[in-house]
Amino acid sequence: MAISKEAYKVLEAIVGEEYLSSDPVVCEGYRSGPGGYEAGLGYERVMTKIPGCVIMPLTTEEVQKIVRVCNRYKVPYVPYSTGWYGPRSHCHVDDELLIDLKRMDDFEIDEKHLYAVVGSGVIYSQLQEEAMKRGCYIIVGGGGSQCSAIANMLGDGWSPLSYRIGLPHRRILGTELILPDGELVKMGSLAVGDDPFWGDGFGPDLRGLLRGFTGLRGCLGIVTKMAIKLLPFQPEKLEPTGISPNTVLQLPVNRVKWINFTMPSKESMKQAMFEMARAEIGAGVTKVPIFWRAIAKASCKEEYWDIWSKESEETIKDFHLLRVLLVGFGSEEQMEYEERVLNDIITEIGGEARRTRPTDESWFKNADSAGMWLMCGGYVSVDYVIETLEHSLPHGENYAELKKKFTPPLMPDYGDPGWFQSFELGHQGYSEFLVYWDPDENTDGVDHFYLETSKENIRKRFYTSLLGPHQPLYLTGPAYGPNYHKWMLAVKDEFDPNFLSHPPVPLAHDEFVEKAEWMRPMKDWKSPKLP
Amino acid sequence: MLKGKLSLDVTNLDNFEYDMSKCIKCKGCYWVDHIYMPGINFSTRCPSATRYLFDSYGAYGKMRIGMAMLEGRMEYSDELLKTLYACTLCGACDVGCKRNLDLEIELSLEALRIKAVKEGKGPMPEHKKVAKKITEKHNRFGSPHENRNKWLTKDIKVAAKADVLYFVGCSAAYANPEIARATAKILNAAGTPFMLMPDEWCCGNMLYSVGMIDEARELAKRNLEAVRKTGAKTLLLSCAEGYRTWKVDYPKMLNISTDDLGFKVVHLTELVDELIKKEALKLTKPIDMRLTYHDSCSLSRLSEPWTPWKGERGKWGMISPGLERRRGSGGIYQPPRDILKAIPGLELVEMVRMKENAFCCGAGRGTQEAFPDFAAWAAEQRLFEAKTVGAEAIVATCPWCKDNFARVARQNGEDLKIYDISELILAAI
Repeated sequence: MAISKEAYKVLEAIVGEEYLSSDPVVCEGYRSGPGGYEAGLGYERVMTKIPGCVIMPLTTEEVQKIVRVCNRYKVPYVPYSTGWYGPRSHCHVDDELLIDLKRMDDFEIDEKHLYAVVGSGVIYSQLQEEAMKRGCYIIVGGGGSQCSAIANMLGDGWSPLSYRIGLPHRRILGTELILPDGELVKMGSLAVGDDPFWGDGFGPDLRGLLRGFTGLRGCLGIVTKMAIKLLPFQPEKLEPTGISPNTVLQLPVNRVKWINFTMPSKESMKQAMFEMARAEIGAGVTKVPIFWRAIAKASCKEEYWDIWSKESEETIKDFHLLRVLLVGFGSEEQMEYEERVLNDIITEIGGEARRTRPTDESWFKNADSAGMWLMCGGYVSVDYVIETLEHSLPHGENYAELKKKFTPPLMPDYGDPGWFQSFELGHQGYSEFLVYWDPDENTDGVDHFYLETSKENIRKRFYTSLLGPHQPLYLTGPAYGPNYHKWMLAVKDEFDPNFLSHPPVPLAHDEFVEKAEWMRPMKDWKSPKLP
Repeated sequence: MLKGKLSLDVTNLDNFEYDMSKCIKCKGCYWVDHIYMPGINFSTRCPSATRYLFDSYGAYGKMRIGMAMLEGRMEYSDELLKTLYACTLCGACDVGCKRNLDLEIELSLEALRIKAVKEGKGPMPEHKKVAKKITEKHNRFGSPHENRNKWLTKDIKVAAKADVLYFVGCSAAYANPEIARATAKILNAAGTPFMLMPDEWCCGNMLYSVGMIDEARELAKRNLEAVRKTGAKTLLLSCAEGYRTWKVDYPKMLNISTDDLGFKVVHLTELVDELIKKEALKLTKPIDMRLTYHDSCSLSRLSEPWTPWKGERGKWGMISPGLERRRGSGGIYQPPRDILKAIPGLELVEMVRMKENAFCCGAGRGTQEAFPDFAAWAAEQRLFEAKTVGAEAIVATCPWCKDNFARVARQNGEDLKIYDISELILAAI
């Protein structure tokens, strides 16, 4: 249904003429692809549309009014803070209203109680710099420094630094959420006053709403304001140096240091992560995907391929790189102590320290996700999993085997399955499986692989964080539930009775499989006729 | 085209289909390099997207709109022309993108304007008026051509023949004679003989910038031949816009490399920096002032030399033969700073956004003519930034910047002083 003139006028009255447009040029600027995260694939081509109209509210009250107007006039809508998260965060149906939240960039910081209150338009690098000016820090999720802090917090954005300070949703404090029917929900201490300092409120913890269907992808409301916990850092400055593209943070090595270690095996990396956690040392740790090293060394795409094409299964299978971050949070002595303990652990396990530059390129302020497109032009993480370290290794090996069957069209990775690391001082393991392809070749195989990972998880009983709208709900729901899908749809129905908050989520991937003829042969599960 | 033969020829938008189609919306074109991110304030470097907000005004939107134009899915409209032209083409997007990727954003934007002109829809009416003045009077102001050398005063020595040819440019010749005079006097003081063009015409910066490639190319040919005839070894400019036009745009339009021009293109700051370091020029008079330096886009991130390239794109988007991409890292950033630091008493304080992250003054590439409010807004942003670091004055290396800053400062009653670097150098000699 087209956005009626009447609805348009009402929307215009809310934000003013300057911040609303249905001009085709403006709307084309909000197209999802053809480039970007998961873009250029079948899902993007089949499931995304340009918006019918774009609106830019400034306040929570304006967002609330807009959502109410959408319900009154039955206008489907999708919130959009930076547009980074690929086709899933772009319009899926005709004449959808895109609510661009970039003007909502309010920012406050409470140095005494260590939290910042941000609007949806505030990105991670802004927040990190403001935190660091005050001797604090946050995690810039692997999604990148350019991510809206709120959106990435909802999506549980993680980084090697999550080893020390845990998952993002634990750092969500007072929050404002506009439900799909326009009701304003204040969470945590905001429910009883104006101070968002605390995440818990009266009654059940409503933060589950934010994480439903894996965070923002569930479309169970629009977060307009969030207080985010800051963590105390060390006192010395991380100094920016260099000219683009070679810009880095110079580290004060008496207090902050990355150390790379070559390790004898994958198993030994896992062991090192456990031992570090047992000794309660380290500020970050990760296994380094080998192709990341090639990206870091290359000055351009062609040089990357010069480097990478020299690799093979033989050279990769015995090369294991562990990257550890040490921070002397309390003192230089802490730093020295942790380094000695770390070296003892690594030596016992059979690893060896490599010369490591005293700089940070990609985790404190500049989570460099854009570099993932250098090699091929197409990228998505087909699975990301928070389970145990024990789960990470076999899952990764299994995934690497599956990937071989789809290479090409996937970029050859010679059996290196991606990224895994320890979370929350070893209590959790994280793995992320990254795939790259040439978007200017036939990409059907990538679409097949994406779905096949889900089937493989079910067959092999692996856990996945992408149960929700990133895979067909009628495939994953019965397997992981048995009534997971029914609950998800019931929750959606309860909170979004008019089904206007970014339809057809959570059934978007189901619809994609129905619509894309090259996907249909893969459908071996039952589903009702989709709405 | 996505694969196969291609070149960096901006007259054919097909050459940039790959670049436009691979934009990933990371908005590296919009934000300051995250390593240098200063916090909540002054966090963006794209004037157009910061002012107009809709994604269509950022390179991420323009690349998608460009694809729609290429595929014939987009009708021309006032909004489309505004999207293409309310943009300072300042190169911030290009260096931001090329920090991580190999996409030619600046060239894509130039090619889009050229396409609009070719199809009879561009440039903006205000640009056409300027083009007419250039055709008729050989300067962008429409002033009498015979007044071009009026800036010369009796105390300036101009050689009949010299290795250095000072190309004054329209701005310094007509609107900012203080810059031309200061430049000439600096050269005199340094004992560097210089000559002027026998008959200097506009460099055509505006014509190329707004997509009038045929007119710009004709002017480039004429000017290049005229300079070659003089036998000059060095073409000296005090205007950053002119500097880029000669060093980058002329070779680009004529499909030659900067090295093939037959002479070196040098900005005043490069020459003076060299003279100071050789002790051929001494800056001894103190200037007691806390001052900030504005990186003019065309001297900094847009100034790397041009080399033509043609070849092929294949698997994974790789090109062959290899290409040394212009990422802005070889821009002229340090020489102006070293000059200012050499002036006794002068305290140089950096703005939050500097070098490749600098926020454009808003004047160039046709913006001031067609969108004066936007140009003034951009200058206001930059002046405000200068004041936040406690500067008493702001100095640039381009008359376009000086002019725009000065106009806005005057209109707003700002007490910030505005200088071109030539004026300070001269004052310190």
